[in-house]
Amino acid sequence: MDPVRAQQLAAELEVDMMADMYNRMTQACHRKCVPPHYKEPELSKGESVCLDRCVAKYLEVHERMGKKLTELSLQDEELLKRVQQGSG
Amino acid sequence: PRRRCPNPTMASPPPPSGAGGPEPPLQYSLLLQHLVGEQRRPRAWDPAALGGIPSPPKSEEQKVVERAMESCAFKAALACVGGFVLGGAFGVFTAGIDTNVGFDPKDPYRTPTAKEVLKDMGQRGISYAKNFAIVGAMFSCTECMVESYRGKSDWKNSVISGCITGGAIGFRAGLKAGVIGCGGFAAFSAAIDYYLR
Repeated sequence: MDPVRAQQLAAELEVDMMADMYNRMTQACHRKCVPPHYKEPELSKGESVCLDRCVAKYLEVHERMGKKLTELSLQDEELLKRVQQGSG
Repeated sequence: PRRRCPNPTMASPPPPSGAGGPEPPLQYSLLLQHLVGEQRRPRAWDPAALGGIPSPPKSEEQKVVERAMESCAFKAALACVGGFVLGGAFGVFTAGIDTNVGFDPKDPYRTPTAKEVLKDMGQRGISYAKNFAIVGAMFSCTECMVESYRGKSDWKNSVISGCITGGAIGFRAGLKAGVIGCGGFAAFSAAIDYYLR
């Protein structure tokens, strides 16, 4: 598979992935940081600080998981290649 | 253990040995490198495109001003000024209903002149104003810091910061006074908080 094709495919998938990640992140951080007491419409200091931290952690988790998944995928492919070379 | 799920690349069919022109199989690792790995190109994401509510982007100045207005220093300064004004008004008011204003120890039966009375009222007003300003700034600053640290906004923030402020003020007169100040101020701010929420 050539890298150009992979890049095109990745660009298409990235939009879906980012949209899904954004929605999940919004939901998770809202549930975690904003208690359902709507006495005033503006975010208080504690809530905004919590949201900043939640987003930062979520994005870091996303990045680390992505790197780990890429690593695992590489190892799997090498294994598969070796198996096919061994059997072929 | 690493291998809890079945290997995804094993599930894809083996590469076709013949000719023809069928699509080469997906190479997940290469795709992932472009998607989440090293070869991902950085992009600018617009929340409206991702499913959020479209809103005009904030300019840099707007962000700076908003950050400054939400900062602890600004809130402390605001409380300081507010405390100064309130303390001044309170001081002048209590001086107005106090019978000892303008009292001259050398001649207790002399009626004080208007100038002396006004000067005394002004001094008392300034002294109350300074005290209120310091207390207000301290309370607001500690409350903002506690709230930033905890990341929540509930009643415990004002109780904790009330204890810190009252304790700091009372500590100058000894440990016991510090403890009493802590308890008293914490209870006072809890009551105000309960009333306001």
